Amino acid sequence: MDKPVRVYQCDNTAEGILSAVYEAGISGYGHKYIRIEPQVKGEAQNIALFSEYISVESDGKKVESVIDAVRRKISYRAYTYIMRAAISAFADRGDAIYQFAAYGFSMGDKVCSALQIPWVKRIFEIDRAVANETNHMIEFLRFQEVQREPSLLLAVFEPKHQVTALAAEHFADRFPDEWFIIYDKAHGEAAFHNADGRWEMRLLTRQEQSRLETLSEQREDYVDLWKAFFENIAIEERRNGGLQRNLLPLYYRKHMTEFKE
Amino acid sequence: MVFQENATLKQKLEILSDAAKYDVACTSSGVERKGGKGQVGNTAAAGICHSFGADGRCISLLKILFTNECIYNCKYCINRCTNDVPRATFTPEEVCTLTMEFYRRNYIEGLFLSSGIVRSPDYTMELICRTLGDLRGKYHFNGYIHCKAIPGVSPELVEEAGWYADRMSINLELPTEKGLQEMAPNKSRRMILTPMRQIQMGVAESREYLGMKGGNQSAYWYTQKRMGRSLPGAEAAAAQRNRLSCGQGDGDCAGQKMTPGSAVSVGRDRQEEASFVGCGRKGKASSGSCDRQEEASFVGCGRKGRTSSGSCDRQEEASFGRDVTGIQRGLSLPSTSLTQWDKRDTSRGFVPGGQSTQMIVGAAGESDYEIMAVTEALYQRFDLKRVFYSAFINVNQDNDLPALQGQPPLRREHRLYQADFLLRFYGFRAEELLSAEKPFFNTYLDPKCDWALRHLEQFPVEINTADYNTLLRVPGIGEKSARRIVRARRTGSLDYHALKAIGVVLKRAIYFITCNGKMMYHFLKIDEDYITRNLLENDADVMKGFGEKVTYKQLSLFDLS
Repeated sequence: MDKPVRVYQCDNTAEGILSAVYEAGISGYGHKYIRIEPQVKGEAQNIALFSEYISVESDGKKVESVIDAVRRKISYRAYTYIMRAAISAFADRGDAIYQFAAYGFSMGDKVCSALQIPWVKRIFEIDRAVANETNHMIEFLRFQEVQREPSLLLAVFEPKHQVTALAAEHFADRFPDEWFIIYDKAHGEAAFHNADGRWEMRLLTRQEQSRLETLSEQREDYVDLWKAFFENIAIEERRNGGLQRNLLPLYYRKHMTEFKE
Repeated sequence: MVFQENATLKQKLEILSDAAKYDVACTSSGVERKGGKGQVGNTAAAGICHSFGADGRCISLLKILFTNECIYNCKYCINRCTNDVPRATFTPEEVCTLTMEFYRRNYIEGLFLSSGIVRSPDYTMELICRTLGDLRGKYHFNGYIHCKAIPGVSPELVEEAGWYADRMSINLELPTEKGLQEMAPNKSRRMILTPMRQIQMGVAESREYLGMKGGNQSAYWYTQKRMGRSLPGAEAAAAQRNRLSCGQGDGDCAGQKMTPGSAVSVGRDRQEEASFVGCGRKGKASSGSCDRQEEASFVGCGRKGRTSSGSCDRQEEASFGRDVTGIQRGLSLPSTSLTQWDKRDTSRGFVPGGQSTQMIVGAAGESDYEIMAVTEALYQRFDLKRVFYSAFINVNQDNDLPALQGQPPLRREHRLYQADFLLRFYGFRAEELLSAEKPFFNTYLDPKCDWALRHLEQFPVEINTADYNTLLRVPGIGEKSARRIVRARRTGSLDYHALKAIGVVLKRAIYFITCNGKMMYHFLKIDEDYITRNLLENDADVMKGFGEKVTYKQLSLFDLS
């Protein structure tokens, strides 16, 4: 029997998507006929014929309910897959999460390894992309001391996915006694870490963003020392730009000390 | 000699990073340690690369020499005493400040400190120890430290450095003892292997009394364990520990988790005993049964060459034999126990990240077979984490060294690394990959493909039923893919599309596998010439990253053998 496809439209945030997954889940409508479309502001919508459109409000309770069900009925690993997918920038992440969870509720934890299922394969790819970018951020982020007494470190990064919170966790453990800010220019948010070890993520206003950008344009002495080291550590006879680009994509270089003028 | 008397910090950094760049190991892996209040830093078991230089090598640690002054005259080294290069020396404060400030900015994962030799090995090592001691104690640095042991240094200083460092390494420099004599007249195998053995025993001892401290066993160790093979090195160490602790009697501490407090006393007891055993039956006890076993296995490996070889092989065998004895002599070296439990901060353990070494490839005319045999022996007997290879670069234009035509032997180095991974992760043995009759790797095919082509009788492998170890031997299937295959097929059978998703490199694997009894294409043949031709034609990146334009089409199959 053919049914019209139901499209759940939601906010383009992790919360929005998980709320839509919740609504779609309790609807009992066949999995095959469900789509989840996060609405990107300012982008024209593609309305398909013969489809029902349902608008979903973001709601913390719905999100919690989804997370709770995944952790209880599938596994912690499935939960990490879903959370990483939710913060990714892929347009089909809502569908991937919904379909993955649907399989998961019947298969349990085994679903995480069942790569022969196309949607599991997809969420696995998304998960890998997000995890890789988190690692890139941990590797390639560069701090600058923008203020002394007390010292304040500032880093700017433009991740494709919203991984700043994941990376900030790593730096909070690494520098427990430092004041630092990690500014995610792509998503307009930042992690603020206090010298007492507490930290928080916050969306920034326009003014705050431009202030951070001005601050980051300073240049301190250690930049020269680091550049000197960077230039000298390479072996000329082994020069290999292709390999360097493979391992350190040009995209990430714009905020890296050693590649800035 | 040009001394930079009043060099600025930047000039020193330029000179001393330039002088350190030929050292290969820039890894920050092997220890997982959380950060803490009042400390700066943590470490990640997988290691973190922070940048990649123009040569594509990872930059993880602040890799510098303490000084590039040196009293030795190793022919391959840019810093040898007869070279006229700018010289500089850091102060411990400078190294500490650089490390801390770079670390805070997330430029680096920690410090890699090596040094030229000033005055004597002990004097140099004292400087290194002072620097590392300050970094840990005064600056509260909790990140990664990799420290070189200087050949010929006294055991107390090796131990002190080991309590500060996460990983230590001492360079074997050349795979053959003869090569070492020629190239580095001031060094000997014994000077290199003694500290290596000491670190090995220290790591084992620290693990026994303090726990792993975030460190892990080597990949080689895990692989051997999985395959149910025994490790002569581990056995020897265990035997030695048993011998040392047999006098302890009361089984009350055996098998129990010790507190550092009790470890101190136990450590001291053991030390006494060790020295007792040492003077009492040193020769017999420490080179007893376990050593003989190793000898047997090594002789066995060497003999193989003789049975099938003519006169030309004998020469090779002879030089190979010298290496064997070199490493064997290493086995009867005295191993020292840890003695500084109460003097040092034991919270990080002793060298929790284990040790590594490196050798230069292509300087002394050694074969790949010799290099792999030495590598394997090092993994087995010295419990190394990694062995690194460094393609020889003729920095000194010395008459005794081979002149390079064009690039350094990067492709050879690459093949050695591939083979090294086959040993550590895939359960291959050196003698499976190479032999006295075939002492070099195939330049055009990676060692695994090369092996598979010589063992076509073991293929094709059925993806849905083959066990993990068999899957690992298929070209195009790596450690991760094999694990994913084993897990995924529990929920249903796998086809070629699923394999692609799993990450199998199908362009290599399709000649060697079946899915549900079928090969990917019906026209594929399991035939050596056919597969070789296809592998070379389809694999456009056989040479990727080597900067050489090679036309594969011009090859005839005769070139390949």
